[in-house]
Amino acid sequence: MKKVININFQGRILPIEEASYETLKQYIESLRQYFDAEEGRDEIINDIECRIAELCDDRLKKGAVCITEDDMRLIIESIGRPADFEAQDGFEATTSANASNASNAKQDQFSDNNENPKRLYRDEQNKVIGGVCAGIANYLKLDPLLVRVLWILLFGISFFAYVLLWIAVPNTSTKQIGGAKKRLFRDIDTKVIGGVCAGLSKYFGVRVIYIRLLFLVPTILLVFNWNHFHLFQFWEFDDFPNFIELTFSPSAVFIYIVLWLVLPEAKTTADKLEMRGEKVDINSIKNTIQTDMEGFGKRAQTWGSNMYNKNKINESQSTTTASSVAPEPPQPKGCLHFAGRTLTILFKAFVYFVLGIITISILAALFGFGIVATGLLPLRRFILEDGAHNWYAYAIIVFFIWVPVVGIVTAIIRKIAGIKKANVWVRGGFWSLWALSWIFIPLFFAKLTKSFSKQNDPQEQAYTLPNAKLNYLEVSAQPKLKYYNHTWLKIEPFTYLDQDTVYVRNLRIRIVKAAADSFEVKYVRISNGKTLQEAERLASLINFDLQQKDSTLFLDKGIAINKTDKFRNQHVIMTLAVPVGKRFKITNKGWAQVNVRVNKKGWRSETNSGFIINDGFDGDDWERNVDTEAFDYDHDVEYIMTPTGLERVDGVKTSNNDNEDPEQLKSRLEELKREKEKIENDLKKTWEQKQKEADEIKKQLDKTKDTLKRNSTKAVSKVSDTVKTIAAGFDAIRLLVSRFQS
Amino acid sequence: MDIQNTQSQMRKGVLEFCILSIINRGEVYPSDIIDQMKAANLHILEGTLYPLLTRLKNAGLLNYRWVESVSGPPRKYFVMTDAGKEAFSVLLQTWNDMANAVSLLTQPQTPNTEA
Repeated sequence: MKKVININFQGRILPIEEASYETLKQYIESLRQYFDAEEGRDEIINDIECRIAELCDDRLKKGAVCITEDDMRLIIESIGRPADFEAQDGFEATTSANASNASNAKQDQFSDNNENPKRLYRDEQNKVIGGVCAGIANYLKLDPLLVRVLWILLFGISFFAYVLLWIAVPNTSTKQIGGAKKRLFRDIDTKVIGGVCAGLSKYFGVRVIYIRLLFLVPTILLVFNWNHFHLFQFWEFDDFPNFIELTFSPSAVFIYIVLWLVLPEAKTTADKLEMRGEKVDINSIKNTIQTDMEGFGKRAQTWGSNMYNKNKINESQSTTTASSVAPEPPQPKGCLHFAGRTLTILFKAFVYFVLGIITISILAALFGFGIVATGLLPLRRFILEDGAHNWYAYAIIVFFIWVPVVGIVTAIIRKIAGIKKANVWVRGGFWSLWALSWIFIPLFFAKLTKSFSKQNDPQEQAYTLPNAKLNYLEVSAQPKLKYYNHTWLKIEPFTYLDQDTVYVRNLRIRIVKAAADSFEVKYVRISNGKTLQEAERLASLINFDLQQKDSTLFLDKGIAINKTDKFRNQHVIMTLAVPVGKRFKITNKGWAQVNVRVNKKGWRSETNSGFIINDGFDGDDWERNVDTEAFDYDHDVEYIMTPTGLERVDGVKTSNNDNEDPEQLKSRLEELKREKEKIENDLKKTWEQKQKEADEIKKQLDKTKDTLKRNSTKAVSKVSDTVKTIAAGFDAIRLLVSRFQS
Repeated sequence: MDIQNTQSQMRKGVLEFCILSIINRGEVYPSDIIDQMKAANLHILEGTLYPLLTRLKNAGLLNYRWVESVSGPPRKYFVMTDAGKEAFSVLLQTWNDMANAVSLLTQPQTPNTEA
């Protein structure tokens, strides 16, 4: 019993079985896809439909009740399936079309001797869950067990891959109905790298650019993460958009490579049709998974028991006969081939990756350039005059920077989106606009240079310190209210004071040795301008405040500039004279490192000429702030002025010999030599002198020795005499006593 | 050498010429073209014929006419345009030359006088 429906097909009413109606619909759809690129697609389809309707009508006229599935099959065969069109060039005997490779897909699934490229199928017969592992094992000619174990070992990554492959890979029971079943291929026709994204987009019916972005965005993030975004170290990023901080999981690249390896290319027409195929939506995915999941437990059980039995057999085998033949090793050829392919693809992927990084870096640099230029735009009112200036600046930013940035980005997006041919007009437009910028650049800079062309005649002013007789002076920035323009981009040396005023940190400090024993401070205000008058006016407008509080000298952080007066390189050079033996420090508090210049020559000459010359101003004095003989000054460090120059209080030697020229070194060496000779001479003299002294002492000693000797012998003889006399006395006494006794 | 590829190249080359020759005989209905070719032992799928006809028509070599049929809607009959006739004569000339050349070359080699 079959349901019959009536359809109005090309002006004919046809009773048709529902199943054959479905076949007809699929067939027409497959034709539509086949002739998709054809100019007269609709006409062709229409002609074929007319013919089908006619053939159906013929059958009905011959007495058929309705169009059965058999009828439909015959009609379709006589017209031909899309797969047959190309395979046989539409010219082979129609009778052999029945036996064409389209209809017997099932037979050649796993056979290698077939012309068709080997394909990955999910193995329905040996499946446990979805048959993916079994299919892969089949494809690689490995034991499914091995594949499953590896799969489980790599669980984290493989889970998603499994689900993806489950959905994407057709199972072995897939029948081909005019290429209506969808399969995942790599689309090599519209590929950029490996055709993976193109294939995925065909499969899911999504525009390819979305898939590509899906893969590309994480890759870009990886690139940025890699460098921790130190690409632009010359300005601070306060709160740059956070997306750079997003962590990247390398899975995008990994998945891409895996898919590249696993997916077959869509080579034949049949492949290409299958690639587009039937619509895949959530429902059909759900259905596939649902049907597969049914009986999962059962299959797992049987698989388990099978494995158990196998193990038992293996055990018994290995115990009984040690020489039992080992199971056939997987065919090495297939493995080698696969390994080779893997290596090639990995290498390719690496090359593309590196190229990608280079491209992205270039783009990032361009973008950075553009951002800086645009970021400066709010400041332009402090620099540029209204009118021509402004227009030139805009033209340069737009034409010179943003035009190429947009052009390159467009080209990349076009490439990603698969639009291969760039419009000649668009490309030419970009180039000519960019060329236009080269006209504006010299104009702009000529104008700008003119605005800076004149400089005022600076007058040095003295600031009398209320308390100059200090032992220690600290120089620091004036703690002033700061206008917080919360922007992620900070461009030194400009700082906003408020919306209409910027601070230009254009202050230089010179350190010299004071002639007297007290600290002294002088400063000059300098400005450029279009005319001398303007320069003078702007210089006189510079409001530079100094204040001493206890042992701290507070300076203005910078020079305030408003929109009407503009920035014309207003700057202040302050000279701080430090007396010998006094200490000072320039802190970093309240400002970033201030521009401190200590020049050795300067202080040397000033020890002679003195810092303050009576009339108060020595023309050259402050101007000699640029000197080849630089002093290695460290910020935020306490220094002491010594007769020979500045020294760090903490005793760390400053290495200021780096810039000394060889002549100086030579003279220094000679000096040292002379010094050495002198010292040697001195030493010699001293030595001789000492020698003499030693001789004298020796003589003296000898003398003393002699006298001592003589004296001693004298004394001894004297004593002996005495003793003799005493002895004689005793003898006499003894004689006397004996005489007396007798 | 891929023989199959060469074969299909040969067939492709003459296919349009064959179709043009059939239409050159007179106004014709597409399925009749199939039948005539079948009779000449040349087999073609209808599915490849229609796109070919459309292409030739778009190239200005063919034109078509709606002819009322006894049963059902009118049918499309194809006919040669002047440009088509011209193209056909050129193709015919080429074919004759080719056929001559091929038949000459495929004949067993005649003994060369110099050899």
